[in-house]
Formats: sequence, structure tokens, C-alpha cells
Amino acid sequence: MSLESYLIEMLKVLVFPGFIFIFILALFYEWFDRKFYAKLQNRVGPLYAGPFGILQPLADLIKLLSKEDIVPKGVDRMLFTAAPLFSLTLSIFATLLLPIFSYKGILSFEGDLVITVVLLTFLCIITFFAGIASYNRFAIIGAERSFLQLIGYEIPLMISVVSVALNAHSLSIQNIVLSQKNMWYILGPNILGFIVFLFAAQAELERIPFDLPEAEQEIIAGWNIDYSGRRLAMFRLAKNIELVFLCGLAATLFLGGPLGPVVPGYEAIFFTIYFIIKSIFVLAILTIVRALFARLRIDQIVSFSWKYLLPLAIIQFLIVRLIV
Amino acid sequence: MSTFDIPIGPQHPALPEPLLLKLEVEGESVVGVDFDVSYMHRGIEKLLETKTYFQGLPLVERICGICNAAHGLCYTLNVEKLYDKEIPSRAQYLRVVVEELSRIHSHLLWLGVAAFEIGFNTMFMYTWRDREHVMDMLEAITGNRVTTEYSQIGGVRRDISPELAEKLLKTMDVVEERTKYYIKVALTEPTIAKRTQGVGYLSPEDAKATCSVGPVIRASGIKFDVRADDPYAAHDEIPFNVITYDSCDVFGRIIVRAQELLECVNMIRYALKNLPSGPFRIKLPMKPNAGEALTRVEAPRGELLHYTLCEGTPKPYRYKVRTPTLANLGALRAMLTSKGRYVVNIGDVPIIYGSIDPCICCTARVQFIDVKKGKAWTWTLDEIRNMSKKVKA
Repeated sequence: MSLESYLIEMLKVLVFPGFIFIFILALFYEWFDRKFYAKLQNRVGPLYAGPFGILQPLADLIKLLSKEDIVPKGVDRMLFTAAPLFSLTLSIFATLLLPIFSYKGILSFEGDLVITVVLLTFLCIITFFAGIASYNRFAIIGAERSFLQLIGYEIPLMISVVSVALNAHSLSIQNIVLSQKNMWYILGPNILGFIVFLFAAQAELERIPFDLPEAEQEIIAGWNIDYSGRRLAMFRLAKNIELVFLCGLAATLFLGGPLGPVVPGYEAIFFTIYFIIKSIFVLAILTIVRALFARLRIDQIVSFSWKYLLPLAIIQFLIVRLIV
Repeated sequence: MSTFDIPIGPQHPALPEPLLLKLEVEGESVVGVDFDVSYMHRGIEKLLETKTYFQGLPLVERICGICNAAHGLCYTLNVEKLYDKEIPSRAQYLRVVVEELSRIHSHLLWLGVAAFEIGFNTMFMYTWRDREHVMDMLEAITGNRVTTEYSQIGGVRRDISPELAEKLLKTMDVVEERTKYYIKVALTEPTIAKRTQGVGYLSPEDAKATCSVGPVIRASGIKFDVRADDPYAAHDEIPFNVITYDSCDVFGRIIVRAQELLECVNMIRYALKNLPSGPFRIKLPMKPNAGEALTRVEAPRGELLHYTLCEGTPKPYRYKVRTPTLANLGALRAMLTSKGRYVVNIGDVPIIYGSIDPCICCTARVQFIDVKKGKAWTWTLDEIRNMSKKVKA
């Protein structure tokens, strides 16, 4: 490999569409989520930092980074330190698989779809360990809840992803994107799968109505109650990157990812713009769901998943099976 | 599975007031509960003994920021019983107007808090926005948003001009429309129903046995409202319905409060349209007659009770306040341990606790209870003095 192509690869990973781009995108998505949520609730939302408060997430992050980092007595020190790091690295790693500026992501190989699903589960497991590590009563309940929730939504999520893969005859994200050249899957037979995916994504991201692991009114902050300063900042950033990842994944699997009409020669720019627009569309739906409902109880979430989400996912699977 | 204790409070994001709920938890279900309200002792009753009746009113209003109108009204009605004077009926009507306005603001506030407890932040923001209309009206009528001190001994502090009454009627239209919308939301929103129906069950028998008051007992299907049972101010002349609901759960308490809002709106309309002419205040002497007086008022949270003992001096010999939250604490225990029918989940605790519309700071009274020995006692002043001497030494 020549030095030049090596440098280009490095720039891809570090700047665009790698770390720095994802970092900016994550903060922007958080701002959009907060601002739109505020508008739905008749509030102003972030306002002062930058135009329309667009720098507020960055300000929050810097503030948290500069705060005192407290490690309480009696925590499992190693896990307590490792959990935020793992959470951040895994979520950044996951976003490298997204096809942002071309048909494929920075990392692309046959079967990368499987990796994305595995990473989602890993992120949840890290949440669990983060809660367990702090040995706090509220944190343990939060951790327990995040696992119970996983039992509910994980299988429907996988089935909805599998039915997309079945439609495309491939487990690689690149082929799934390419197979949507004629028709996006959301317009075709996979509309049910999209709905299931959205609900599962909402649960994975721990947002209302599925925000039980960190339900403020019930168990204060749940699994992240003991985290402060840098560690909390890392968790927050990881959550935002996960938001980018899940919105991007939904856009890729169901909305044709970066596809759209392009001017030849400028594909990368157009693809990036389409990708952002589509994933923000998904984010807007997630935000509306967040504003519309009250928080469910843990038993209600599990029964909701098994009574409604799973049958829907199976019907989706059967529809795809009959068509293909 | 072994049980472990979860302390909720005295500092907790869902409970802005100092109450300690000691929950005994098995997995996610609550198997036992114990609570402690005595984190806040303000000595208001003692302080009242050092002030004349006229000076005491601002202090009484500060027992509770939210039901201040009810406290002020109860206090003035109570003291007026010590004089043998007829209070002008215009004042009584105006007292009802402000009392019901404050009930509207309290219930709207509670609806928002209840929505917040179940994680429905959007409704919280909406109800609190609409509450601002009422707060503006309170400010226009009384000059103050929160501690209004409208009801005075001998009448009310200010009169209502016809223009202001017109404005108030317009605001009532807004409140009525919004309330109807909230009732629709509460009845049709599936997640609200899921989180509140069947939760915090309080059977009518338990409600009676624990002497609960206010919307809590009315949501258990029992018609108990001081305004109807023991009318004060102008409540015997203003027609209204006592709202009850028979679901005995948190959902019922939401519906009862929401429908009471509509009743309040109608009462204010009636009172403003049939406002008697005449003076709005009479002058009363500093010294009331010697004697005792006891008054009950239906505060937004339930029956509020004031008692005074007067020896014919300008200052009370004793003043006693019993707030509705204290009466509802027994019901709270029954709700949190409603075994058999439904096991309470940790997630339900905030909304069950919230459903009695607690106001702990108004409630705290000092009493010591030793559960193991089964005895209760209070400390006398001398004992406390002796203890402080020991600490100093």
C-alpha cells in the first residue's frame, strides 16, 4: 500500500466519515432531538449556546468533562472504569460500519450486518455491567431492568433485520444498500419490519416509553447513578453516537441509506447529505414517539414486546419469505 | 429471592419534599413499606401563639404555597367564628371565587406532576403552561401569584371590578376548553391507562377506615366534600356537583380532579354572575371573644382543619392545623401494600405516592413511635431542653 492511500485511509477513519465527523453528527443529533422535543412540548429548548442553541450539547459535554470525577467507595473499580470506555469504543466502532459517503462503510465485509446486531447487544450488556459495577441499589435495579428489556426487544429486532437480509439475499450492508436501488424496503414489503425496528431502537436507546433503566422518577438515574464527570460524559457521548448509529442503520436498512439522485462526480457529497436527511427523518419519528407516550412498566414492556412486536416481526418475516 | 430495602427520599427527584419511604423490595415488587414524614418541623403553630390574630394571617398562608388560599380562608373563617358579626355576602362570594381559582391551579399543577411521575413529560409541560392563565388571574385579582392573602378577617382585601370579572370569565372559557382536552387525553391515551388503571387500589372500606379525605376518598366512590357536607363561605348558595369515581385507583383520582376543574369553572361563573352588591369588608376589633372555634375547609387536597382556643386576648392561646396530607397518609400505606389484588411495582411507587397530592412540609408534626415496643410518645419542652444541655456538656 502506498503512503498516499495509507494516509487517505487514515483520514477516512479519523476525520470523515470517521471519528470527528461522527462526533459532530452525534452532538448535532442530540441538539435536534432536544430542540424538536422542546418544540413538541411548547418549550424553547436549547437557546443560548450558538445559533438556536446548536452548541449546547458540546457545552454540556465540556462541562461534564471538567467536573470532578468521583469513584465511590465499594465500586468494582476496574469495571467502573472500563464500562464507559467500552461503551464509547463499541458505539464508535459500530458507526464505522454505516454506509455514509458511499455504498459501504469504512469497514465492510460479507456478514457485517451480523456484527451490527451483535454490537447492539454488547452495548446493552455494557449497560448492565456498568450498573452492576457501582453496587448501588438503584443502579442494580436499573441494570436488571435493562436486561429484562433486552429479553423483550432483541428477538423482534433481529427478526426485522433478518427479513431485510433475506430480501436482499445478503448479509452485507453494501449489498443491502445496492439492492434498494430500485425500491426502498420501507415502500416495499418491509414496512412492518421498519415499525418493529423503530420500537426496538427506542428501547435500545432507553428513551420514553422504554426509559426504565434510567427512569428518573422511579430509580433516580438507574444504572448510571454513580457515574460523574468524565465517565458520565463518555456514557452520554456513547449514547448519542448510538443514536446516530441506530438512526443510520434504520435509514440504511429501510430507506435506502445514501441512495438518491446524484450529480456524477460528486457522489460522496450527495450520499452524505441523503444519509443525514434520511437518518434525521428516523430521528424525528423517534422524538415524536418520545413526546407522545408515558413510560411503561417493566412487565408491560416485556409483554408488549412478546405480544405485539414479536408477532409483527414474524408476520414480516413470513411476508418476505412468501415474496422472495 | 431475598428482599432488600430501597429508600425513596428524603431527597429524591420525584419527591420534591422530605418524605422517606422505606420500601422492602423483592425483585421489582414492593412487599413492605414504612414511612417517615418528620424531616421538617417549622414551629408555625407555636409561632402563631406569639402573634395577634390579624398578624397571623400572612404566616398561616405560608403553611402551604399551593393551597394557601384554603389555609387563609380556613383561618379567617375560624377567627370570624369568635366574633358575633355577619360577614358581607359579597365577601363570601369573592372568597369562593379565589378559593376555586386556587383549586384550579392546584389541580392543574397536580395533573402535570402526575404526568411527570409516569414519564409523560409533554402533558406536564402543557398543563403547567395552561396553569399560567389562572396564575395571571390570581395576580390580577389579588395582586400576588402565590401567597395571595385575599381572604382577610372581616371580608376580603380587594373588590373585583366588572371589567376584571369579564376578563376572568374569558379565562374560564380557556380553562374549560383545555380541561376538556386533558380529560380526553387521559381517557384515550393508552400508556396513561396502562400505568394508572388498577394501580394504587384503595377500597371504599379502606378509604373510610383510614379516614382519607379529598379527591382520594372521592375516587373510591364515597361522596365526601366539606363544601357540600358542611358549607362555608357561599358554598350553600352556589350549586355544584360532588364528583366521584368508583375505580378506586390512580386513574380515578386523575378523572376526579380533572372533572372537578370543570365544576370549579362553573362555580366561578355562577359566583361572578350572581355577585351580591354591598361592602366587601367590615372592620372587626382586635380582641375576639373568648372561646373555641373549629373550621373545616375543602382544600384542593382534601379536608383542612383549623382549631383555635381564645382567651379573649388578641393572641390565640392555642392554634392547631390539620392538613389533608396527614389524613391521607394512612390511605397511602393501604395503597402501597394493596396485596392480593395487585402487587405494587417499584415503578408504581412515585405515581401512587403522587396520587394523594402530598404536601409533606405542611404536615410534619413531632411524634415518636417505637414500633417494636408498640408505643408512641411526644417530648415535652423540658425534655428537649435537658437533651440540649447534655449535648452542650
